[in-house]
Amino acid sequence: MTAPAAPDLARQVQNYLVAVECELSDLPAEERGDLLEDLETHLASLAEEDDDRPIDVRLGSPVAYAAELRSAAGLPPREGARPSRDRSAELRRWVGRAQAHPLGHEVHRLLLELRPAWWVLRGYLLIAVPTALSGDWDFPVPAPLGSEALGVLLVPAAVAGSVWLGRRELPSRWRVPVVVGGAFLGFLGFVAAVDGSPSDSADYGYAAEYGYPDVVPEQAIGQYPLVSRYGPVTDVLPYAADGTPLTDVLLYDQDGRPLAVGFQEWWADGCSRELRQPLAADGVPVAHAFPQRYVLDGSGTDEFGQPVPLGSCDATVQRPEVSLPEFPPSGSVSGSVSGSTSGSVSEASPSGD
Amino acid sequence: MDASQLLKGVLDVAVLAVVRDADGYGYDVVRRLRNAGLEDVGDASVYGTLRRLYQAGALTSYVVPSDEGPHRKYYAINDRGRSVLEDSTKTWRTFVDTVDGVLGRTVAA
Repeated sequence: MTAPAAPDLARQVQNYLVAVECELSDLPAEERGDLLEDLETHLASLAEEDDDRPIDVRLGSPVAYAAELRSAAGLPPREGARPSRDRSAELRRWVGRAQAHPLGHEVHRLLLELRPAWWVLRGYLLIAVPTALSGDWDFPVPAPLGSEALGVLLVPAAVAGSVWLGRRELPSRWRVPVVVGGAFLGFLGFVAAVDGSPSDSADYGYAAEYGYPDVVPEQAIGQYPLVSRYGPVTDVLPYAADGTPLTDVLLYDQDGRPLAVGFQEWWADGCSRELRQPLAADGVPVAHAFPQRYVLDGSGTDEFGQPVPLGSCDATVQRPEVSLPEFPPSGSVSGSVSGSTSGSVSEASPSGD
Repeated sequence: MDASQLLKGVLDVAVLAVVRDADGYGYDVVRRLRNAGLEDVGDASVYGTLRRLYQAGALTSYVVPSDEGPHRKYYAINDRGRSVLEDSTKTWRTFVDTVDGVLGRTVAA
C-alpha cells in the first residue's frame, strides 16, 4: 500500500467496521466488542500487505462477512433479518462509496462535527415547534401555553434530553424512528421559522427604526401610519389636473384627520406635538374647521427614552422644502398623483405655535 | 462439489491442527491454512472458528503488544484442544476412509 492511499484505506476500514458493527448490533456488547476487536486487528494486518484491492473485494461485503463470522462462531443469525437486508446492504455500499469520495468524506466529517449542535437544536425545536404550531411562534424563547417561563424551563430540559439521546448508543430498532423524527422536526422548524419571521412585529419595528421597511405591512403601524398597497407612504405630493404642482395644500381624511404620512424628519427633535382643532367661542372644538394646528405637549422623549424639556423644542420649525417631481407632459392628467385636492388642512404644515 | 462446503465441516480440525504446531494470531492462522492449500477458507470463518473453539475451552489466548502495529491476540492449543483434535482426527480418518471406500466401489462398479 502506497503512502498517499493510506487515508483512503483508513476510511475504508472505518466504514467496514461500522457496517459490520451494524450487522452485529443485536449481540451483547461484550461479544460484539470481542468480535470487532478481532476484525480491527485483522484489518490492520491486511493493511500491512501490498494489496491495494478494496476491502470489500478482499473480505466480501460487510453483511456477508458478519453472517459468516456468526455462523462460524456458532452465534445465531441476526435478529429481525429480513429479505430487504440486501437492499439495505446496497444502500450502505452507496453511502460507503459517497464517503470514499474526497468531497463526500469532508461532508461526512463536517456532519459528524456538527452533530452536537444538531442535538441542541433538536431539543430546542422539540419545544419550539409544537408551540409554533399552536400559533405562538416566539423567538428565541418559545412560550408553550403562553408562558415564557415554562419555555425557559422546558427548553434546557429538552436540550439536555436530546444531547443525552445523541450520545447514547441506540438499539438498531430505535435508530430509524429517531432519525426520521428528528428530520421531520427540523423540517417543521424550518417552515415555522420562514413562515413566522415576516409577520413578527418586532422585526418590522427593527427595520422601521432605521427607516428601511423591507416588508410591506398589512396595516398601518408605528412610524408609518399611512399605507398604500406598495408599502408605507412617506409623502403626498398634490398636483392640479393640468399638472401644476399645488402648494400649500393640506390633506385630511373623511373624518377630518390629517393624513399623517409617516415619520416627520423635521420633528426629529423628539418633541411631542398634539393636534389642536379650532375652538368655538364657547370652547367646543369646531368640526371640519381648518386649518388645525399642532401644539407642543411636553411628553416627548429622546432616543434614550428621556423626557425632552419643553424649552428645548422649537415650535417654529417648519417643514423643509422638498423638490417636486416633474409632472408628465400635458394630456395625461388622469395620472395625477394628487390624493386629494379638497383644499383642506394637512398635518404637513405644523403651525408656528 | 464446492470445496468451501466441505471445508465448513472440517474447519475445526484444520484450525486446531494449525495452532498445534505453533501459536498464532487470527490472520496468521488464515495465511497458514491458505499456504497449506485451503485457499477457499474465508477470513470470517477462521475468526469465527477461533472464537468458538476459544469459548468451548479448546484454545487459550494471550495478547502480544506491538510497538509498530496493532496488539495481536494469539491463540494456543491446550490439553482439551489436543483431545478434541485427536478425536476429530480419528473421526475424519474414519470418514475419509469410508467415503474413499464408497467412491472406490462406485468407480469399480
